[in-house]
Amino acid sequence: MGNETAATATTGRPAAVISPQFTRGIEKLGMALFIAAETMFFAGLISAYLVFRAGNPDWPPAGQPRLPVASTAFNTLILLLSAFFCHRAVGTRRNGHPKSSAYWLGLTGVFGLFFLVLQGREWIRLVQFGLTLTSSVYGALFYLIVGIHGLHVLAGVAVLFFVLKRSANGRYPADSHLAVELARTYWTFVVGLWPVLYVLVYLL
Amino acid sequence: MLKNLPQSVSTFSGDIDGILYFIYAIVGFFFVATEGYIVYSLVRYRRKDGVKARYETGETWREMRWIIGIVIVVTVLDFVIDSKGAGVWAKVKENFPEGDVRIKVVAQQFSWTFVYPGADGQFDTRDDLTVPRVLHVPIHSKIRLILTSKDVIHSFFLPEVRLKQDILPGRQINAWFEATRTGTFNLFCSELCGLGHTKMLGSLEVQEPADYERWLAETTKEQLE
Amino acid sequence: MEGNRHQARGNSAHHSHGDEKFIWKYVFSTDHKMIAKQYLFTGLFMALVGAFTAYLMRWQLAYPNTAAPGWGVVTADKFNMLVTMHGTIMVFFVGMPVLVAALSNFVIPLQIGARDMVFPRLNMLSYWVFVASVVCLLASFFVPAGASACGWTGYPPLSASQEYTGIFWGVVLWILALALEFASFTMGGINYLATFMCARAKGLTYSRVPLATWFLVGASLAFFFSVGPLIAGAIMLLLDNVAGTGFYLPQKGGEPLLWQHLFWFFGHPEVYVVFLPGLAAVLEIIPVFSRKPIFGYRTMVWSMAVALALSYVVWAHHMFISGMDPRLAMPFSITTILISVPFAIIIFCMLASLRGGSIRLATPMLWAVGFLVTFLIGGLTGIFLGSAASNIYFHGTYFVVAHFHYTFFPAVFFGGFAAIHFWFPKMFGRMYSERLGKIHFWLTFVFFNCTFWPIFQIGSGGMIRRIADPSQYRILDQFKTLNVFVTISAFILIAGQIVFVINFFWSIFRGPAAEANPFRANTLEWSAASPPPHGNFTAAPVVYRGPYEYSLPDRAEDFVPQNEPPLAQAEGTA
Repeated sequence: MGNETAATATTGRPAAVISPQFTRGIEKLGMALFIAAETMFFAGLISAYLVFRAGNPDWPPAGQPRLPVASTAFNTLILLLSAFFCHRAVGTRRNGHPKSSAYWLGLTGVFGLFFLVLQGREWIRLVQFGLTLTSSVYGALFYLIVGIHGLHVLAGVAVLFFVLKRSANGRYPADSHLAVELARTYWTFVVGLWPVLYVLVYLL
Repeated sequence: MLKNLPQSVSTFSGDIDGILYFIYAIVGFFFVATEGYIVYSLVRYRRKDGVKARYETGETWREMRWIIGIVIVVTVLDFVIDSKGAGVWAKVKENFPEGDVRIKVVAQQFSWTFVYPGADGQFDTRDDLTVPRVLHVPIHSKIRLILTSKDVIHSFFLPEVRLKQDILPGRQINAWFEATRTGTFNLFCSELCGLGHTKMLGSLEVQEPADYERWLAETTKEQLE
Repeated sequence: MEGNRHQARGNSAHHSHGDEKFIWKYVFSTDHKMIAKQYLFTGLFMALVGAFTAYLMRWQLAYPNTAAPGWGVVTADKFNMLVTMHGTIMVFFVGMPVLVAALSNFVIPLQIGARDMVFPRLNMLSYWVFVASVVCLLASFFVPAGASACGWTGYPPLSASQEYTGIFWGVVLWILALALEFASFTMGGINYLATFMCARAKGLTYSRVPLATWFLVGASLAFFFSVGPLIAGAIMLLLDNVAGTGFYLPQKGGEPLLWQHLFWFFGHPEVYVVFLPGLAAVLEIIPVFSRKPIFGYRTMVWSMAVALALSYVVWAHHMFISGMDPRLAMPFSITTILISVPFAIIIFCMLASLRGGSIRLATPMLWAVGFLVTFLIGGLTGIFLGSAASNIYFHGTYFVVAHFHYTFFPAVFFGGFAAIHFWFPKMFGRMYSERLGKIHFWLTFVFFNCTFWPIFQIGSGGMIRRIADPSQYRILDQFKTLNVFVTISAFILIAGQIVFVINFFWSIFRGPAAEANPFRANTLEWSAASPPPHGNFTAAPVVYRGPYEYSLPDRAEDFVPQNEPPLAQAEGTA
C-alpha cells in the first residue's frame, strides 16, 4: 500500500532529498539570514546611540574633541570604491576571466585594509586629544560602534583573502562563482553599513 | 487567590483592588469554563471500540464560528479590563497632585532615608530634616514623594498602599499617595539590589495631623541640637 | 501497512554509515539526530543543576538559616547567586537546548523529509559552541566571589560594576556564557530556517507542513530577529565591567534603563522561543491521540505569525513601573492585550480539536493535556500582570514567580516530556514504559500544582521576589506553613523526576523495539525507520496531502500518511 514499496531497490546512500530548484540557493540563503541577524545587532547599537544622543542636549559633550569629519569622508570613499571593485570581481569571474577577477578581489582587500589603517590613524590622534573609552559615554559609543564595524571590515578582508587564496590554488571550478559571490554579499553589507554609521556618529 | 491581600490604606488602593477583583472574576470564569471543558471532553470523547472520531478540519467559517465568537468576547473583555485599568493607572502614576507634603526618598544599598524640606519648604537647604528608615506621613493629605537612588536600582514598595515604583540612580522619579488609615505599615525594596536586599526594610508611619506635627517639631529640635 | 513497517525496519539494518568510528558517530557527529540527542542530554543535565539550585532556595525559604542537607546554610550572598543561576540555567540552558535545539534538530528534517540539515557542519559547530557556553556558566560557580548574583535579567548598575556586588569574574563569565549561547543558537537558527525553506520533500507545500515544524520555525524566527539588540547590549555591559566604560552607570553619564529596553526587546520574543516548541509538540500529539484533524490548521499558522509580529512591540510591559515614561504604559498595555487574541485562538482551536475525537490518554497525550491545563493558568494570570494598573501591585512579587513558572514549566517540562515520550520510539528505536510514564506524569502534575498554586496566594499576600529570608518580614509570618508546604511539594516534584530518569535510561537500553509508526501518525518522520539511519529516508519521500488526515469518513483505516499516494495511484503499485 505504501509508496515505500517502490524504494526496495534502493541501497546504500539515500537519494538526495533537497528540492532541486532550491539547491543552488542554500548558501546564499544562509548568508542572507546571517546578514539579517547582523542587521538586528547593528540596529541595537544604533538605537543605543540614538538613546544617548536624544538624552544629551550638548553632544558631543564639552571638552571632548570633534571627530575628523573630512578625512573620514575620504575614508568612506575608499570603502565605497572597494565595494565597486568587489562587484567587478564577480562580474569578471562570471564572464570567464578568473585571473582578472582575482586581481579585483585582491584590490578590494587592499582597499579594505587601507580603510582600517586610516581609521587606526584617526583613533591614535583622537586618543591623543583625550577621547577614550572611559573619557565619556560619547567616546565609549564612538569606539564601540566604529570599532565593531572595523572588526567586521577586518573579518571581511580575511574572507576576501581566503577566497583569493583558494581560487589562486584552483580550488573553485571555473563555472562556480559561489564563493566569490558570497564574499561580495558580505562585503557589500559591511560597506553599505558604513555610510549609515558615518552619518550617525560623525554628522548627526 | 486574592484573599491574602494586605489591608488597603490609601485613596487608590481600593481602585487597584477593584481592578484585581474585576480581572479575577473574568479570569476565574474562563478558568472554570475551559478547564471544565477539557475534563468534559476527555471523558465524553474517550476512545470506545467502534466509535470513529469526527472528521472536522475547522477550515470553514461555519466550523470556526464558535471560536470566532469566543475570541470576540475575549477581545472585548480585554479592552474593558484595559480601559478600566487606564483610569486607575492615570490616577496613580500620571496625574500627580501638587502635594501637601513633599518628601525626598533616598535609597541606597541597603537602607532608606527620608528627607523633609523643613520650615522653608525647600530641599537642599540647612533646615532639611533627615530621617532614617521610618517614613512619617500625616493621614488624609497628599504626599508627594521624590524618589532617588545613590547606587543601583531599588524599588519603593508600600504593599498596604498598593504603591510600587522603581528608583533609577541618576534620576528623580515622582510618586504620590494619600493614606486613609493611621498605623504602622510595611516598606520593602522590591528590586534585587545586592547582598543586603532582603534586609532593606523600612516602615510607613501614618499619623493624625496633630501627632505628625508634634513628631516633626520634636525631630527638628533633636536635629538642631 | 504491516508490509510498510517491515520495510522501514529492514532498511535500517544495512545503511551505509554503520561502521563509523565512535568519536565521529557520537561526539563530532554531523547527523542532526545525534546532535539533537547531544542537546537533549546536555539540557537534561543542566536541568539537574537547575533543580539543585531550586532545592537550596526552597529549603532556605521554608527553613530559613538552617543547614540544607548536602550543602549547608544558604547565606544571602549564595541565595542571590542561586536566584540568578536558577533563572539563567532554566531559561537559557534547559529550555533553549531541550526545546529549541533538540526538538528543531530532531523534528524539522524528519518532518519535512530531508536527509539532514542543509548545513550539517554548522550544526555541529553550533552544538560545540553551546558546550563552551555551558562550560563558561558552570565555571562561574568556581571563580573567586562565585557566580553572578544580579538576577537572571542582570539589571545594571548592579551588574555593571564590581563595586555593587563584589563579583567580577562571575558576571563576566555570565555575560560570556550568554554571548556564546546566542552565537550558538544563531547558527542553529540559520540552519533550521534554511532547512525548512530549502529542503522540504517534493509535494510538501507550506500548507502541508506539520504544525510542529511551523511552530519550531516560528520559535527560531522569534529568536533570530530579537537577539541582535541584546548582543549589542551585552557587549556594552561587558565593556562596563572590564573596560571601565559607563554605558549603564549614571555617574559616568550612562543610562540604566537602556539595558532593560534591550533585554526585554529580546526577552518577550524569548518567551515564545521557549513556548512555541512546547506548543509544537502538543499540537502534533493532540491529533494523533484523538484521531482527529487538528482544528483550524491555517488559522493556527496565521495566529502564530501575528503573535510573532506583535511579540516585538510588547516588551515594555515588563517595565511598567521601571521609571520609564508612565504615558508609555497604555500603548504597551494595549499591544499586550492584542497579543492574547492570537493565543486565545490557538488555545480554543486546540480545545476544539478534542471535540468529537477518539481520545486515548497515553503518556504523550497526558503530557499534552497537562500542558493545556497548566499553561491555561499561566496565560490567565498573565492578564493581572499585563494590565498596567494591577501590575503596580503584583510587579516583583511571588505572583509573578508563580505566573511565569506556570508558563515556563508547562512549556519546558510538560511540552518537553510530551515531545520526549512522543518521539522516543523514533529517537531511540525502543518504546518507553507506559506505566512508569504515567506514574511520572501524575507525580509531576500533582506536585507541580501543589508547588506553584500556593505561590499565587503568597505573592498576593505581598511576598516579594528574590528575598533570601522571609522571616525578616512580619507580613509574611502568616505564610510560614504555606511556604513549608510549597517546599515539600517542590522536593517531591524534583524527586519524582527519578521515575523519568529510570524510564528513560531503562527504555533506551532495554525497552521493547519500536515499530516505525507505533502511534499510527501521518507525518513523514513516521515513515522512516525507528531509529532512522544516517540520511533518514531510504528514498526521497513524496507528499500527497496535509498532515492531519485522521478518521476520513470513507476509509477503514483512521489515518493516511502524508506520503501515501492517492488511492487511484496506490492500487497500481500495490
